[in-house]
Amino acid sequence: MTTWLVRRVAASIAIVFAVVTFTFLLLHLAPGQPFLPGDETPIDPRVVANLRHEFGLDQPVLVQYVKYLGALAHGNLGESFALHRPVADALADAIPNTLVLAGAALVLDLLLGLALGVYQAVHAHRLPDIGLGYATLFVGSLPTFWLALFLLLVFGEWLGWFPVGGVVDPVVHASLPWVGRVADRLWHLALPALTLGCVGAAGTARYQRAAMLDAMGHDYVRTARAKGLPEGRVVLVHTLRNALLPLITLLGLSLPFLLTGAVLVETVYAWPGMGKLAADAVFKRDYPVVLATAVTASTMVVLGSLVADVLYAVADPRIRVRA
Amino acid sequence: MPHSTARLALVALLSATLSSCSREGGCTGEYCGTVVFASVGEPETLLPAVVQSGAALAVSDQIFLKLADLGPSTNTVGDEDFTPLLAERWEWEGPLTLAFHIDPRARWQDGQRVTASDVAFSYDAYNDPRVNSPARAPLHWISAVTVRDSLTAIFRFHRRYPEMFYDAVYHMRVLPSHLLRNIPRDQWQTAAFGRAPVGNGPYRFVSWKAGESLELAADSTFYLGRPHIRRLIWRFTPNLQVAVTQLVAGEADALDVIVSPDDIKRAKAAPTLAIYPYRSASYGFLGFNFAAPGDTTHKHPIFADKDVRHALVMAVDRERLALSVFGEYGKVPPGPMSQLWAIWDPETRGLPYDTAAAARLLTKQGWIDSNGDGIRDKGGAPLAFRLMVPTTSGVRKQYARLLQDEFHNLGVDVQIDEVEFSVFLERAQAGKFDALIQTWNTDPTPSSGMTQTWTTAGIGQSNYLRYSDPAFDKLVEQASAAFDRTEARRTWRAAMELINQDAPAVFLFAPDYVAAVHRRVENVSIRPDAWWATIRNWRVPPDRLIDRDRVER
Repeated sequence: MTTWLVRRVAASIAIVFAVVTFTFLLLHLAPGQPFLPGDETPIDPRVVANLRHEFGLDQPVLVQYVKYLGALAHGNLGESFALHRPVADALADAIPNTLVLAGAALVLDLLLGLALGVYQAVHAHRLPDIGLGYATLFVGSLPTFWLALFLLLVFGEWLGWFPVGGVVDPVVHASLPWVGRVADRLWHLALPALTLGCVGAAGTARYQRAAMLDAMGHDYVRTARAKGLPEGRVVLVHTLRNALLPLITLLGLSLPFLLTGAVLVETVYAWPGMGKLAADAVFKRDYPVVLATAVTASTMVVLGSLVADVLYAVADPRIRVRA
Repeated sequence: MPHSTARLALVALLSATLSSCSREGGCTGEYCGTVVFASVGEPETLLPAVVQSGAALAVSDQIFLKLADLGPSTNTVGDEDFTPLLAERWEWEGPLTLAFHIDPRARWQDGQRVTASDVAFSYDAYNDPRVNSPARAPLHWISAVTVRDSLTAIFRFHRRYPEMFYDAVYHMRVLPSHLLRNIPRDQWQTAAFGRAPVGNGPYRFVSWKAGESLELAADSTFYLGRPHIRRLIWRFTPNLQVAVTQLVAGEADALDVIVSPDDIKRAKAAPTLAIYPYRSASYGFLGFNFAAPGDTTHKHPIFADKDVRHALVMAVDRERLALSVFGEYGKVPPGPMSQLWAIWDPETRGLPYDTAAAARLLTKQGWIDSNGDGIRDKGGAPLAFRLMVPTTSGVRKQYARLLQDEFHNLGVDVQIDEVEFSVFLERAQAGKFDALIQTWNTDPTPSSGMTQTWTTAGIGQSNYLRYSDPAFDKLVEQASAAFDRTEARRTWRAAMELINQDAPAVFLFAPDYVAAVHRRVENVSIRPDAWWATIRNWRVPPDRLIDRDRVER
């Protein structure tokens, strides 16, 4: 197990290194330049030239790459071209917002997906199962940004139940007691998390239904029923417990989905997370921020995958033996 | 409990908690207003010397004052239309020397007096290559700024010209030397001061949550009068649609620019919003590259021919296009100019809309449809070009399609290249395009902008089309140097008529912008060159306060 874990961690580091290298090369090969005026005001070319010199962009790409790797190895992510601040500070502001959003969406995804999957399996091939099957297929097929805009329009603009953007209400938040601040945050979190969570839950439900149906056909379930156990106990303890393994795999796979989905959701809901930070940085050719978000996102994804693998091994003794 | 019911219950619970928790009912009276701006851009820093974007200027100009500012007329020639700010008065001491007398009541927000040393320090910083200020270039005719006494700063110029006063006051904000002196100049771009500044203006910095919001509070001791709006809050949004949604949903009170007719309609339909149209500082055009794409040593195979350019200009019904894209707020410029400029003169002669004459011109030049495919050709080569527009501009994408139709009717094939904004600018600067739809945001004066974008001196800078006509260059130079306003207007008009005749571009639009502000806010006026310039005069009458205004921080 230890050897497997060491090999797995080494592979994860190699993946992150590869992501940094490819991102760096792609950024410099792609057309477009940093420091161009954003609002089409004529600008003195000397100002742009000075900025390029100041940030070392007038040096060969290989020199820039080696310098970047050296700085990265020392934990220095550099200065943002566009934000006029250290990249680490910008990330420190954005990452908690993304984690809160992705975390809330993941909880919603798993709870809702699990409940729906179990309910469908128990009522397999009957009207509720068929109806929910179509519904989850429909929601799962929706583009995330479309659902985000739809929920924003209906629950934000038309009904006014939820705020149409932001993390908190900037007018009242600072004046609220802590309970109010938490409520304010949850209120603003609701629509973005619901958007990401619903799309994820639609997929999770379909996986979970299949896993439940598979487990229900095994002898131990038949034995449990033959022993006269209540149906609830048969489903929730004997079947569900054995049908959770695919969900652990899904958990590891959900992180990349949540991070990519968050880019669009963060943009629609003006949620200042890592996705929005990265998207803005790409458009402004803010190389240090793009690289830092790529490093952070890839690290989170490989860590998520690693945790899922470890959990899988813990949950399934057969995998431990093979490892 | 069904899921939807549970959700509704949660919403109700949260709403109840929030409303019971907020300490409303606190502030009453004349100085309670809170205005929330929906802002599409976020400032990069609030240190004025290194500020580039309009979003940053809108905030930093509430914190830092200029010596004087443009008046409502936005006239930039001479000094009579300027309004005193930090300088209570000024006088000319000869043709090249200008003395500013600082208002003795002026204070930095940490209590220190604003002095002439701060003015000299500010000029020195703006002019320092290590600071790399975008406002450095307009100061190049100022030779020195010195201190005569603690409240008198002396500006000396290299030469005499009509906009000396404008250059001295418009671009530079006075900075606190006692707080910035010890920060190395090459670190100003990222200085912590830029994220928590101390200024001398009507508002103090309160907080800035990156990506979320920024708050300023009125300085009740401000020497030119306490601002009526107590709190200014900028909420950052990723795009204009989200900003309009926040405005319509009542989560923001003001938005400075609404462009599309659909969004304007949404804002007009909101009963809480008042609409303020104003002259925009931008103009847009379809520009023809005079050089071969990517090879500036050769002429463009199509656009080097003046008759072809004339035909293309005359084939465009610019009034119809402006109406179609901007609705009632569209305007067609009489040359390369924004509505901001005093040289705007609808009587300026240009090429008429005349598709028959356009067709005749092309036929005369040998461009005929020899194979009946609907596209003119000459020597086997079709009359075709690619039109570049940025993906970020809905207006320009819309224009590109409309122009494509108009040119197709003339027998000209246009392929549209929609490219990302950064790529658009890079290709424009490198001359890698046939034609493009470009917009420029202008200063209040044509002098510098016209030189940068349309004269020979601007080639290699912002004259992406590489248009060059020595006669036009000379007229621009003469117009910029004219002290007499009538003479200046006459020369500018001659320059505009000449460039219209040269037809380096189809000058398409110079729209009115529309701002929307909550109806409870009074005294709202928008100065076209800087919509934020009059915020300190806005007020919310005590009888119109809403919960947002009363919240105590």
